[in-house]
Amino acid sequence: MEVSFREEIASLRLGAGETFRGEGILAVTKALLQSGVSYVGGYQGAPVSHLMDVLLQSEELLQDLGVHLQTCTGEAAAAAMLGASVAYPMRGAVTWKAIVGTNVAADALSNLSSPGVIGGALIVVGEDYGEGASVAQERSHAFALKSSLILLDPRPDLPTIVRMVEHGFELSEASNTPAMLELRIRACHVFGSFVAKDNRKAPISFNNPAMPARFDYGRLAHPPVTFPHEADKMARRLPAARRYILEHGLNDLLGPPDGELGIIVQGGLFNALNAELAAAGLSDAFGRVQLPVLVLNVTHPLVPEQIAGFCAGKRGVLVVEEGAPDYLEQAIGQILRKAELNTALHGKDVLPMAGEYTPPVIAAGLAQFLERHGRRWTALPSLAPAGVQAAKAAIGTPLPARPPTFCTGCPERPVFSAMKLLRQETGPVHVAADIGCHALATFAPFNQGNTILGYGMSLASAAAVAGTNQKRPVAVMGDGGFWHNGLNTGVAGAVFNRDDAVLVVMDNGYSSATGLQDIPSSKAGSGEGRGKAVPVEQAIRGVGATWVKTVHTYDVRGVMRTLKDALSDPVKGLKVIVARGECMLARQKRLRPAQAKAIAAGERVVQSRFGIDPEVCTGDHSCIRLNGCPSLTLKPSGDLLKDDPVAHVNNDCVGCGLCGEVAHAAQLCPSFYRLDVIRNPSRADLLKHRAGNWFLRLLGGTPISDLPPLRPPAAVPVPAE
Amino acid sequence: MNAPREPVRILIAALGGEGGGVLVDWITRAALDAGLHASRTSIPGVAQRTGATTYYLEAMPAERGDPPPVLGLNAAPGRVDVFIGTELLEAARRAEAGFLTRDRTLALVAHRRAYTVTEKSEGGDGRLDEQRLAEAVRATARQAVIADYDALARQTGAPLNAVMLGALAASGALPIPPDAFRAAIRAGKAAESNLRGFEAGLSGTAPQPAAPEAPPAAPDALGFLPEEARALAAEGGKRLADFQDAALADAYLGTLRRFAAMPGADGPLLASLARHLALRMSAEDVIRVAQLKLRDARRPRLAAESKARPGDIVHVVEFMKPGPAEVLSLLPPALARPALRLCERRGWMGKSVALNVSPTRPIGFLRLRLLAGLRWWRPRTLKHHEEQAWIAEWLGLVERSLALGADVAREVAETARLVKGYAATDARGRANWRRIVAEIVQPALAGELPRDIAADALLQARLAAQKDPEGDSLDRTLAAVAARRGAPPRRLAAE
Repeated sequence: MEVSFREEIASLRLGAGETFRGEGILAVTKALLQSGVSYVGGYQGAPVSHLMDVLLQSEELLQDLGVHLQTCTGEAAAAAMLGASVAYPMRGAVTWKAIVGTNVAADALSNLSSPGVIGGALIVVGEDYGEGASVAQERSHAFALKSSLILLDPRPDLPTIVRMVEHGFELSEASNTPAMLELRIRACHVFGSFVAKDNRKAPISFNNPAMPARFDYGRLAHPPVTFPHEADKMARRLPAARRYILEHGLNDLLGPPDGELGIIVQGGLFNALNAELAAAGLSDAFGRVQLPVLVLNVTHPLVPEQIAGFCAGKRGVLVVEEGAPDYLEQAIGQILRKAELNTALHGKDVLPMAGEYTPPVIAAGLAQFLERHGRRWTALPSLAPAGVQAAKAAIGTPLPARPPTFCTGCPERPVFSAMKLLRQETGPVHVAADIGCHALATFAPFNQGNTILGYGMSLASAAAVAGTNQKRPVAVMGDGGFWHNGLNTGVAGAVFNRDDAVLVVMDNGYSSATGLQDIPSSKAGSGEGRGKAVPVEQAIRGVGATWVKTVHTYDVRGVMRTLKDALSDPVKGLKVIVARGECMLARQKRLRPAQAKAIAAGERVVQSRFGIDPEVCTGDHSCIRLNGCPSLTLKPSGDLLKDDPVAHVNNDCVGCGLCGEVAHAAQLCPSFYRLDVIRNPSRADLLKHRAGNWFLRLLGGTPISDLPPLRPPAAVPVPAE
Repeated sequence: MNAPREPVRILIAALGGEGGGVLVDWITRAALDAGLHASRTSIPGVAQRTGATTYYLEAMPAERGDPPPVLGLNAAPGRVDVFIGTELLEAARRAEAGFLTRDRTLALVAHRRAYTVTEKSEGGDGRLDEQRLAEAVRATARQAVIADYDALARQTGAPLNAVMLGALAASGALPIPPDAFRAAIRAGKAAESNLRGFEAGLSGTAPQPAAPEAPPAAPDALGFLPEEARALAAEGGKRLADFQDAALADAYLGTLRRFAAMPGADGPLLASLARHLALRMSAEDVIRVAQLKLRDARRPRLAAESKARPGDIVHVVEFMKPGPAEVLSLLPPALARPALRLCERRGWMGKSVALNVSPTRPIGFLRLRLLAGLRWWRPRTLKHHEEQAWIAEWLGLVERSLALGADVAREVAETARLVKGYAATDARGRANWRRIVAEIVQPALAGELPRDIAADALLQARLAAQKDPEGDSLDRTLAAVAARRGAPPRRLAAE
């Protein structure tokens, strides 16, 4: 799907001395090019999708530099791609969303780090943790520890992020160890600037291909060499990495050289910490802290002598480390013990073990730490936010949450309307949900789903339910998850085991939730499209499924009928329903400008939207409980007798038709109508129209066009986003 | 040494897809162009999907030889200088989280609601009180500007985010000249309309939200009713004359007169009766729907919604889908009942004909005309008989419960709210009503339920049934009531 990144692409071309302006993740992309990478790959997912999205449109630039770009079908594929740097002195980078992506990649990561790399290998992970996160809350740190990867956690400002990317490659090469750069959500989206360098051409690239590497058993993650690999990690690579970190001062020592209290903080949390220190009068907006602070831009490996050196002579040290377990605090404790230092170690005793370290959380921990050691500080406002009580009193009732919902006109919503209608008819069934837009059906008004086990895992997660439940379970999966691994772990597995389950594949043509990336079943490449139009049905039949039906999602009754068939079919075995309907975001992105152009050019265009007659609507809102479309909302009835609000379709309506379909399928109510507007009508239209109106008048009716002309209404405001 | 420089901290709360990201981007670029240190970040999440999102920006005057600033990425309660809210509930949410404070926060909030699914789904009126939400902002901010910026956006045909940018520029909270903002807009997409919006917001002419207008004065002819019931009764009479004929209107007023004469019948009770009796007596049937669809009054609205420009052709397609229940209920009971039983037996009740009638086309118009023309026949229909029967039963219960007190009687009258909608919705509503009658009203009348509990129990049960008509909250409420009177609720007892 084409989302244009003209400006971003231009900024990737900046040369030495020019000022780059943009978001963190784009800065990383530029830093990769400045580091002379030979290849880049990854799998989309917030908050790092942007990296791949932008590069995909930078074909020309990549051509000049000879950078190989791979749209990986999953994180495992992306991690495996780093194998190039095992055999060749090539720099390469891959990206994905953590923790989930790192889980998927784990197998390849182990076998990558066992032999190690001879070309710098960098993994850019979007640490999807805290507010706005959409995944299970775990730490990437664990993977760095178990596979002995280098873990970079830079201060969230562009110069430091860029510096860490560049050093990341050097460090990776100096220690033959793959490096992982961890960026939290806010760091990925932070907008700032840095002074650019020229992009570097890699020694090995598709412009300058390498000779096949000679056979070297030592480079294989295969016994017996895996045993020396393990030893080499500890005996050689780890010390080498520590040496590099010290020599190049990757960690920042801030504030006075000595003092009796000190703070050790993850780089990514420094700005948040500094804000609280400034509020306490112990720093300022330029990070001029008044007590010693060791900022770990590299959180693994730690350099024992650096930690010990920092703690020596201090009464107490606070470790600000987000998430559980407290890996850093444990390691630092051990370092202190072995160095026989009795500096009081604080961390998770004054800060919470789990959860995001927001300003109030850090403030509270900091306050406790300073208090315990009798340090004077000015009160922190974020500790006791005034007004909370006043607001609660004014509102007088708990506020309803506002989770994301399906977009206006989303093609997936009708399927869940159908499932809810069916549920009212035949009672509940076990629903295995999945990752993707369709997971929004777990929220109101659909409130369905019994498990979510991972991307493309819904059908697999229903395997044991299929044999042990009174009703056939239904697994919902998006086409994104389907290609990511659902086809194998789900469909193939279910066919092989003769699972008696129903699978609904949402075939909307893109990996939509991550930002409309193309997938194998996307329309074949017109413009920016990279899809190969591989039919989902064919893939499903290819692995042996026989009961495969395709439905058009907006046909709610059709979907209901097919679901009923699938659930009631006497023959045991997998039933697959491919629910087809293009992502409405993509559709509108394409359609709106095209229609506007056509209308301006005087071409005949029929535009539709839905409406509700307030006089006919009784205000029962059952349509909303079956639909939940953002453009289907409420308004005052305008009727003294009806004091409840009536349903109302606002101007965002894209005329997808679901309102009418649901009204029919549920025999809901006759309040709904569709308006068809023929812009620039043809001669034939006009003739028919005139004739029609003549008859209408004959029958005593008044055509709409006979009304006193209204002032042309203003255009619908469409946010520039 | 003078006080350390502090950044101006701006928190923006918006809904995905409203362009909050674009807004904060304009501000950032304008700040940088104005020579400020500036940094911003966002939590877009699944941004375009109408969930609640926030954006945060810090900007600080720059001086020669400044070291690189360390700006925050998180808004902190008690440290927000400017709050921009595009929606009241989200603004109130931030106020409740302590981000707005009396000592520093300037709040620029669009007096506009985007209802949550929870609010919209309720069978009755689940909307939060706008005034209270606005009050939460006023009560916590140093200065609160809550205006209908959305109306301003619609008037100027510009997006809301551009208008809010104008409002920010007008507030002078940032040392950034308007031209820097204009430049930032020009650098982006859809510059003209965005500039229109910006200027509108800058001019600071955002209209205050309109106050709800008072109900029309009631005619003296209804003097037999207390003040609060008159306007409703007048409207009810009009409604019924239009729905059927003057006779029906007289019957309606007659009933009200009868109740008004009853000892203990107070204003609230009669108001409730005037409202619900009129609605039930004019319960929408196919005939009524056809009548309403042909109303002239409807056409200007349609024309406006269609955004038709001169020369365009507009067609309306009605989504009517009467099933056997609706169609057969137009027959007299003697014919309709056996026919319906047959359909039941054959399992045809689910069947129905999708009539996509188009009243803007001769044939469709004719169909609706014919249906609407059946008004004279209505009194003979099964639907009419059933409505009459229901109304009689309901009124009977109200009358008898008067003995228990006006408050109980009023709650019984209010149960009529549960009967609304068409087909399945209507059926479910009636079923819920029956259960409440069987498990609260009847026991109360039989003295099995203390009268002081009865009124509250009725209220709770009605609210539960309205909250999720298809759900089980009514079950739970009735179970609780049953527990109070020490008997198992009928449904549970049956299981």
